[in-house]
Amino acid sequence: MENSTANNVVIKIDNVSYDYRSSSDEFIARGVKNVSLSIGKGEFCVLLGRNGSGKSTLAKLLNGFIVPDSGTITVNGIDTSVDESIYEIRSKVGMVFQNPDNQMVASIIEDDLAFGPENLGIPRDEIEKRITWALETVGMSEHRKRSPNKLSGGQKQRVAIASVLSMLPEILILDESTAMLDPKGRAEVMETAMRLNKEKGMTVILITHYMDEAVGADKVFVLSEGELIGEGTPREIFSNVELVKRAYLELPVASKISLELKESGYDIPFALTDEELAEGICKLK
Amino acid sequence: MREVSFGQYYPSGSKVHALDARVKLLLTIAFIVMVFLVKSLYAYIAVAAFILLVTLVSRVPVLKVLKSIKAIIFIVIIMSLINLFANAEGKVLWSWWILTISEGGIITAINLALRLIFLVMGTSLLTYTTTPMELTDGMESLMYPLKLIKVPTHDIAIIMSIALRFIPILMEEVDKIMMAQKARGACFDRGGVLKRAKALLPVLIPLFVSAFRRADELALALDARCYNATPNRTKYKQAKLGWGDLVATLVTGVFITLVVAVNNNFWGLY
Repeated sequence: MENSTANNVVIKIDNVSYDYRSSSDEFIARGVKNVSLSIGKGEFCVLLGRNGSGKSTLAKLLNGFIVPDSGTITVNGIDTSVDESIYEIRSKVGMVFQNPDNQMVASIIEDDLAFGPENLGIPRDEIEKRITWALETVGMSEHRKRSPNKLSGGQKQRVAIASVLSMLPEILILDESTAMLDPKGRAEVMETAMRLNKEKGMTVILITHYMDEAVGADKVFVLSEGELIGEGTPREIFSNVELVKRAYLELPVASKISLELKESGYDIPFALTDEELAEGICKLK
Repeated sequence: MREVSFGQYYPSGSKVHALDARVKLLLTIAFIVMVFLVKSLYAYIAVAAFILLVTLVSRVPVLKVLKSIKAIIFIVIIMSLINLFANAEGKVLWSWWILTISEGGIITAINLALRLIFLVMGTSLLTYTTTPMELTDGMESLMYPLKLIKVPTHDIAIIMSIALRFIPILMEEVDKIMMAQKARGACFDRGGVLKRAKALLPVLIPLFVSAFRRADELALALDARCYNATPNRTKYKQAKLGWGDLVATLVTGVFITLVVAVNNNFWGLY
């Protein structure tokens, strides 16, 4: 998969560093350091790392909220540090944040979906079509005329995704969008993101500290202390015990069990999912 | 969770909901002016009848409209009491120490209470039947003349829309913080006024901190969705004047005339 999309790079981060500084240029905190990575069109990528690892900084860099101190970031070949193209980048890179309440502008769901396209000056009829499409895509059509206040966390976050989809982005960034949700809400959001990736070919970048959300990804990037310390398929990353420990990550239960079984002398392959684990156990003599 | 009824949209798809927000806004302003002009109790009956009529047509539950008074009931009571004792016109009915109740006082107190109640009922009918977005769009449209002298009317409209959106969220947050403080032994409902006010301080500070944090995140979200990307912003919901608006204006006009007539005892009813 990686090979087929390699020449179709949508995001290229080249040796980027960023530090948070106060207005008087005093160092406050490190953001990211010498990060280089590229993401291909239609890929489902996961940025893993614990709090303060620099993963949200990276998201903000991708959307041009902040500009790298050194290095360059290009989205669809456009440099994020060029002021004139900032809105083009933002409309192409849709961003969903952690708290669903703090990213909705309107008290009626369809009005919230209209906000992005209105800002871009999209004609009315086209906005109408996009709202219908976006709500259908996230499965929230029946709530169109309602207030977001009465929805569950997972539903709110799906509306937030739809609000971004209405700008027709090519890349969807979910910045810890599952962190505040209960397991059911998390599953809803993950399922929506997966479906967008598989059915609509949308490039998805999921930022999280839950490793189990990375299981189905095409590519996983691991960040620690602002540096990129690992890159690869979920299987490559998860089975790298040293790396997982260094990034203070928690393996999915299936992987943990398979590793511990192996440690206790059973001949069992590394398992990513529950099914793989079951299969491995069944094959034991 | 606390029931926040004032200022919340109640969708029922009625004729009143379908009216142009600008018309509703202007009619509400006319209504407010009218309520302030009313002096006679008979005229208040007409005002009440008008509110009832609008409530029925809008298919908002009557109870919900009545509930909107709950938010201001203390203000009404306090203001009425002040007026009750402050106005000493007419026959003195009761007097003790420096407190005196006179006929004039009773009349102004009732007047003021009814005025405030009808005011809130009328305006909450507006917010029940109009989405905040329509409302703010309507205001923006009515503020058009200001735009010509470079007042950022669109920004003002967006600020109002966001404020309305966050009222229930912040209310919920107050509840949460109060519960958290109560769990740690805080006490909000005992002691004198001063002590109670002081007890609220540990609620207000976290509330402000969280509000600022929310504002920060919201600013990012606005930027992420290309706020201010182009001066040629389009509008998804374009308000158009229809026959309904004409009918509503006429009906309101007739009612206002009626109320003014009754108020000035035009027909010699009393």
